[in-house]
Amino acid sequence: MRLPAIFRTNTFRLTLLFLALFAAAAAAFLGYIYLMTAGEISRLADASIAKEIQTLDAVYAKGGVPALRATMIERTAIDQPYIYLLLDESGRRIWGTVPDVPVGQSDERNIVWTHFKMAEAAPDGSRQSRLARGERQRLSGGEILFVGEDIGETESYVAKIVRALWGAGVLVVVLGLAGGILVSRNVSRSISGLNAVVGAVQGGDLRARAGLRGAGDEFEELAIGLNDMLDRLERSIGSLRHAGDAIAHDLRSPLTRLRTRLEVAMLEVEAGKSDPKAALAQALEDAEGVLRTFTAVLSISRLQAAGSAPDQRPFDPSQLAADVAELYEPLCEDQGLDFKAEMSPGLTVKGNREFLAQALANLLDNAVKYTPTGGAVMLRVRRRSSGEVEFSVTDTGPGVPDGERERVVERFVRLENSRNQPGAGLGLPLVAAVAEAHGGRLELDEGPGKVGEMGPGLRVALILPRVG
Amino acid sequence: MRILIVEDDAEAGAAMVRGLSEAGNTVTHVADGAEGLKTAEAGEFDVLVVDRMMPKLDGLSMVEALRRHGDQTPVLFLSALGEIEDRVTGLKAGGDDYLVKPYAFAELIARVEALARRRETGSVQTTLRVGDLEMDLIARAVRRDGKEIDLQPREFQLLEFLMRHAGQSVTRTMLLEKVWEYHFDPQTNVIDVHISRLRSKIDKGFDRAMLQTVRGAGYRLEV
Repeated sequence: MRLPAIFRTNTFRLTLLFLALFAAAAAAFLGYIYLMTAGEISRLADASIAKEIQTLDAVYAKGGVPALRATMIERTAIDQPYIYLLLDESGRRIWGTVPDVPVGQSDERNIVWTHFKMAEAAPDGSRQSRLARGERQRLSGGEILFVGEDIGETESYVAKIVRALWGAGVLVVVLGLAGGILVSRNVSRSISGLNAVVGAVQGGDLRARAGLRGAGDEFEELAIGLNDMLDRLERSIGSLRHAGDAIAHDLRSPLTRLRTRLEVAMLEVEAGKSDPKAALAQALEDAEGVLRTFTAVLSISRLQAAGSAPDQRPFDPSQLAADVAELYEPLCEDQGLDFKAEMSPGLTVKGNREFLAQALANLLDNAVKYTPTGGAVMLRVRRRSSGEVEFSVTDTGPGVPDGERERVVERFVRLENSRNQPGAGLGLPLVAAVAEAHGGRLELDEGPGKVGEMGPGLRVALILPRVG
Repeated sequence: MRILIVEDDAEAGAAMVRGLSEAGNTVTHVADGAEGLKTAEAGEFDVLVVDRMMPKLDGLSMVEALRRHGDQTPVLFLSALGEIEDRVTGLKAGGDDYLVKPYAFAELIARVEALARRRETGSVQTTLRVGDLEMDLIARAVRRDGKEIDLQPREFQLLEFLMRHAGQSVTRTMLLEKVWEYHFDPQTNVIDVHISRLRSKIDKGFDRAMLQTVRGAGYRLEV
């Protein structure tokens, strides 16, 4: 037999288990209450009866039946709650507060508990039967003495307690079951919302999100986590798509240029105006340019899509800068530039050496390209007071006007005065992408200011976050 | 040289066959990794040029299988995957060099020649000799025609690489990779300046210039 779905949930099973444990605990608790209330009442009554018999027995021992009878009458008169009955040896009634009680004719001297019905005249004249509890004792002279207590009220009180305890037990089970069903349904509802989202995402709808009820519970947390995960996934897929579009866009124009050049070359060669070898060499150079552009765009896009550079390790930034400086120093000298490298030993950065080396190489490439002969280029590594590590390349070239500094970091942006220089406008964007992929940033500033005939210069700083 | 090309792109394969044959090599071309493994094990080749991504058996698995069977023929991987991790996996799988597509033909020829040459000089050398140029690898000293030449550490490394590949064209990218260990191409001619410095040290004052520029390819140390 298959149970309804609600009963098959894990939560419901757990609820049942807890219910069983709870019921057991409740039973123990209620049992204790019973013992401490109902049981105690009977015990107290029995003890007082036993004491009364003892007292009366003592009176009998001193003064015989007449004294006993007088005492009983006396005690009844002061509203003692006891029922008295004194029978002679043959069982005939001598005196008592009740007319006739089936007490039996046993000879035993031992104390015997007995229950008996007590008939009492109700105010309206009818006879009522009430429950009483008493003790019979054969006295030393052969008479039989009964002392009892009307326990009708006590018994009904105990019965009420027992009924209340049963009721409480049933209530525990019913409420427990209802609670279990409620909790299971609640959990199932929360889970089914999440399941629906997972199903939708599996079905290809990346925009599906779990609804939030503002409950702030653990399901809400799970839903928030799921939504957050999907947001990230969607963003990263989006940025990959964006990277693809960007590459397509970025390559279209240089490829179109190449094609036009080839077409023109073909026309000219056909007309006998041009040497095919020169045209081929030119086309080859163009293709080379396209490939370089492609490689650079791909690197930038990958870095941007990945969000963080791969394979990051801690290393000494001055060591890296010294290596790159060593690569560029002869070039600077060759170009008539005064090259200086200033290191700060003992620093540590975490990053991808290769990407950072390429970033520094790009910065030095730019500095060498734009600084006129006689100028100066400086590569510097230092620790900022904030703990960040800064690589900077400063030159004495024309610089970048204040308003353009944001723009030169964008892809394919080339300033007016750089048109005659080789390059595709991807150097700084790659440096910026490398900085971002390391959680750092790029800062462009004015250089050392006008030096002789030269421009204000440019200072580009690649800033990496502090380690640890 | 006998060269095996394992490349699934028919056009690229044909171009390589033509180019490498013109450079004076015997070239065999197969189109997938399984065929490549069979051919490589059946024949004697000086260099294998293996594309990484191929049908049936990919290049990495093919070379791994070859190395497991004890075949140590130098392997040049060709791949469109150019990230550093990709290179590392390629070299770990048993590749000896790694060339990222698209590449210049001169680059391919230079690297194939470099690999074939490396095999010939298998033993550990303490002295390199090219013509009247002599390099003591232990004392880290260089002499030409008996005259001591004072080199910076990097210049020494550069010359060592050129001497180990004497008579072959080496490209700027190769130098940047093998001497400086960078895998990117700077926009400017940084390598050229290092070469010209080295040239001025080893060729100045001698009748014959040993360090030649090869147009469209790179440099060559003449024997």
